[in-house]
Amino acid sequence: MKKILALMVALSAISVAALSAQAKTILTLWTFNELHAQYYQESAAAWNKANPSRQINLKAEVFPYDDMHNKLLIALQSGSGAPDIADVEISKFPNYLKGDIQLVPLDDLLNPIRKQFVQARLDIYGKDGKTYGMCFHVGAAVMYYNMDIMKAAGVDVEKIDTWDDYVKAGLQVKAKTGKPMATIETTDQWSYWPLISQQKSDYTDKNGNVTIDNEINVKTLQFLNDMIYKQKIAVPAPGGFHHAEEYYGFMNDGGAGSIWMPMWYMGRFTDYMADLKGKIAIRPMPRWTKGGNRSAGMGGTGTVVTKQSKAIDLAKQFTVYAKGSKEGNIAIWKLLGFDPIRWDVWSDPAMNEPNKFTQFFQNKNIFQTLLQVKDEIVPVNVNERMVRVIDQIRQKTFVQVLQENSKGAAQALKEAAVEAKK
Amino acid sequence: MKRKSLGASLRYVPYVFVLPFLISFAVFYVYPIAASVVMSFQNVVPGRTAFIGLDNYRRIVDQDFFDALRVSFTYTAVTILILIPGPLVLAAMLNVGRRRTNTVFRALYFLPSLVSVVVAGTIFRLIFATSARGMANTILSWLKIPAVDWIMGGSLTAMSLMVAVAVWRWTGVNVVYFMSGLQSIPEELYEAAEIDGAGPLRKFFALTVPLLKPTVIFVTTISVFGGFAMFEESYIFWRGLSPNNVGLTLVGLLFKRGFQQGELGLGSAVGIVLIAVVFAVSMAQLKLFGFFKQEEKE
Amino acid sequence: MRRKVSAGLADAIKYALLAALVVFFLLPIFSLLMASFKSGKELMRYGISFKGMIPPRFDPKNFVYLVTGKDGIYLSWFRNSVIVLAAQTVLSLGLSSFVGYGLGVYRFKGRNAITVMVLLVMMVPLQILLLPLYAMIVNFKLMNTYQGVILPFMVSPFAIFFFRQFASGIPKDYLDAGRIEGLGEFNIFLFICAPLMAPAFGAMAILMAQQSWNNFLWPLIVMTTGEMFTLPIGLASLLTPYGNNYDMLIAGSCAASVPIIIVFVFFQRYFISGMNAGGIKG
Repeated sequence: MKKILALMVALSAISVAALSAQAKTILTLWTFNELHAQYYQESAAAWNKANPSRQINLKAEVFPYDDMHNKLLIALQSGSGAPDIADVEISKFPNYLKGDIQLVPLDDLLNPIRKQFVQARLDIYGKDGKTYGMCFHVGAAVMYYNMDIMKAAGVDVEKIDTWDDYVKAGLQVKAKTGKPMATIETTDQWSYWPLISQQKSDYTDKNGNVTIDNEINVKTLQFLNDMIYKQKIAVPAPGGFHHAEEYYGFMNDGGAGSIWMPMWYMGRFTDYMADLKGKIAIRPMPRWTKGGNRSAGMGGTGTVVTKQSKAIDLAKQFTVYAKGSKEGNIAIWKLLGFDPIRWDVWSDPAMNEPNKFTQFFQNKNIFQTLLQVKDEIVPVNVNERMVRVIDQIRQKTFVQVLQENSKGAAQALKEAAVEAKK
Repeated sequence: MKRKSLGASLRYVPYVFVLPFLISFAVFYVYPIAASVVMSFQNVVPGRTAFIGLDNYRRIVDQDFFDALRVSFTYTAVTILILIPGPLVLAAMLNVGRRRTNTVFRALYFLPSLVSVVVAGTIFRLIFATSARGMANTILSWLKIPAVDWIMGGSLTAMSLMVAVAVWRWTGVNVVYFMSGLQSIPEELYEAAEIDGAGPLRKFFALTVPLLKPTVIFVTTISVFGGFAMFEESYIFWRGLSPNNVGLTLVGLLFKRGFQQGELGLGSAVGIVLIAVVFAVSMAQLKLFGFFKQEEKE
Repeated sequence: MRRKVSAGLADAIKYALLAALVVFFLLPIFSLLMASFKSGKELMRYGISFKGMIPPRFDPKNFVYLVTGKDGIYLSWFRNSVIVLAAQTVLSLGLSSFVGYGLGVYRFKGRNAITVMVLLVMMVPLQILLLPLYAMIVNFKLMNTYQGVILPFMVSPFAIFFFRQFASGIPKDYLDAGRIEGLGEFNIFLFICAPLMAPAFGAMAILMAQQSWNNFLWPLIVMTTGEMFTLPIGLASLLTPYGNNYDMLIAGSCAASVPIIIVFVFFQRYFISGMNAGGIKG
């Protein structure tokens, strides 16, 4: 009896030892979006299959958006409690590049495959030549046309090439259907930023100086103001921005003829504007001059590795794998509906397989549209001043110029620049 | 014999009573408050935190700061004007008459405070939608008033929104406070007053209100604190970025500077200023009420 | 005769007014309840208006999702909130009433100073304490624990203040009576005054419970894993800039109100007792 017992103990000890030899390394990840968390779990599973000797047990936690960033800031400042990996949204990114940067540069793993990415989307998470974050998507700004309204007005969207063409179409839509051609955000920046980025302008310059009040920016803001008040072909977005609960109802009821937003906005259509199924076509945005840029890279979530990680190499490798591998990028499209940053997967047939997005939009091949504009995206400058500028324009400038029409574009932008420099 | 020991023990007894607070204060508050004061004089970044004297204090004084002051003061004043007399009267009404009905009403008024802020926000945003179909505007149309753009419409509508949410959420809570205060007023006093021929209004103003003084002081004081510390009622509608700062409060400014901008030292400075303001206001208010006089008991 | 009629009229007016107010308070909640029987996407599509308020079918699938969805994480949030609620309410009631009573009943050196300290603690916005408190929690190894959430706020200055106010209204006669009987001060507190303060206990139980249940900022700082979140944090994590989970959010919020309603209903009865039961006899 004793011998059998001893044998059993020995066997269990051996199996426990064997199992722990295969033990997975625990990696903690913080994010603010459940869908991202799901994606990372799938990536981890794929990683484990491909790397049986270096398996990961990924613990992804979903926090509320603002609060996750606050928690991360506190953890990095105090030196403890930070996760191995975290998602940081682009508008908050500069906050983590201050002082002694507590994030790990990813360049050594990125450099071999750098060329396959849309460069602009790597540069935005960098400082002093080092790259600290990996993005989910290009966030290519595109135009979504409500084709029912376009048809009713007799507008051929294929013929819209420049913004002048767009305005003309808008007048036609107004005359024939009485509806506005577009809605303009007054508390968020997705109606404005892509337009100035198309013209190679920005909120700040490469060195972090405020440029919000330069000529192009003023002219563009005036352009938007004219659309609302002079040509009357656009209205301020109900609710103030295109993610307002109120906006969805408005657009769903066919409130406007079109909307320009980044590609990642597709999910809002499928989720909240179901009545528009089969009616929306995705097209490149109009451009300012013949041969000008038709798109811009907007928004973004950079995934970072923190210095507090106890498994930095593994965390780095996993991050670059999840966000930078071919399979990962295809999955990003299939699962999340984002336009992935590796352009070499865009022509992969897997990208055109039916999913809820391809079934919603009229396009036969959404990525064909995207491939047309892939080289027409300029990086935006991400730095501390950018944060201040965005703050000012979202809070004051847009409201004054676009919502209330109480101040001129030049004046409002000048004031914003002054405040942002403080 | 008994007298002596009573006198001696009476001297240390109060200190034993307040001991739990003193300990908790020493362990959990002294360090953090001191640390925040220190941070307000620093530029707080990882690895390179450094003292910068009064720079933070200088930098926070800008247009945003004055907007925040104005909004906080206005909001506090308006909510106090509504949320003290209103619930007081309600509590008085619910203190007499059919018990069961009153209990039901009390519970119903209290319900709003139980709804999570996040959801209350979603619901209120939808109710106060700009379109004529939104509930608030529908009600306005019944009164033949044209639709209002609540969220983007300027400081008057913005303040109305925040006050509406506050009144909705906190009326029931204040009713609870006043009711517990009312319960401590003995029935006999009311009976005596009735015998003297006092009607309901007279009883209310001559008896109820004065005897509720400690409760009123309490509710007013926490309303001052609550008013200046208001954050959620504004966040609900504008997520921290209100048009023209119509929804910017002092705590909102703290968040903006400290967290949105990632400058924890600046945020601390705003916080210290906030404490100073609230301290001044509440001390003034308490002195006005005679709080610090050692009251004689009847 | 006249008195009865006018009293009846006054009563009717009073209850009509109260009922009208109820509509104001309940309309948003009613919308919420109705919305929880629709899918979140429907809600966004059509918004909240009188027309679409009552759903054509009462679909309980959102509530089922609460229990089954996402590995039952909603249930974890619920459990955590309940645990924190119970601990915080009990501890806080006990300790705060103790301190508040002392401040309210006795005249002693430092009474005003300590009262001001209590007020001061209430005035400090938690937001500026986040970084140092976080550092303390890490040092005391209380990260991601229930104790970490409960301990720093075990003694509630707000409840202390309330009990102080209440206790200051207790007539001296009660205390003297107790002393004459030979009771020590603490026994006077326990056996004579605490029962007198029943309405205060009732009110504070309800309000501490409500505060604890809705508490967001501090639990957020302490908890680092989703299963340890309390309900407010969990529900907030369902709203993101890139997509919202309205189904769980709205149904979850309805379900979250239930425990507190129970607490409320239970403690309401203490309002009715109190001084009226005692009375000053002779």
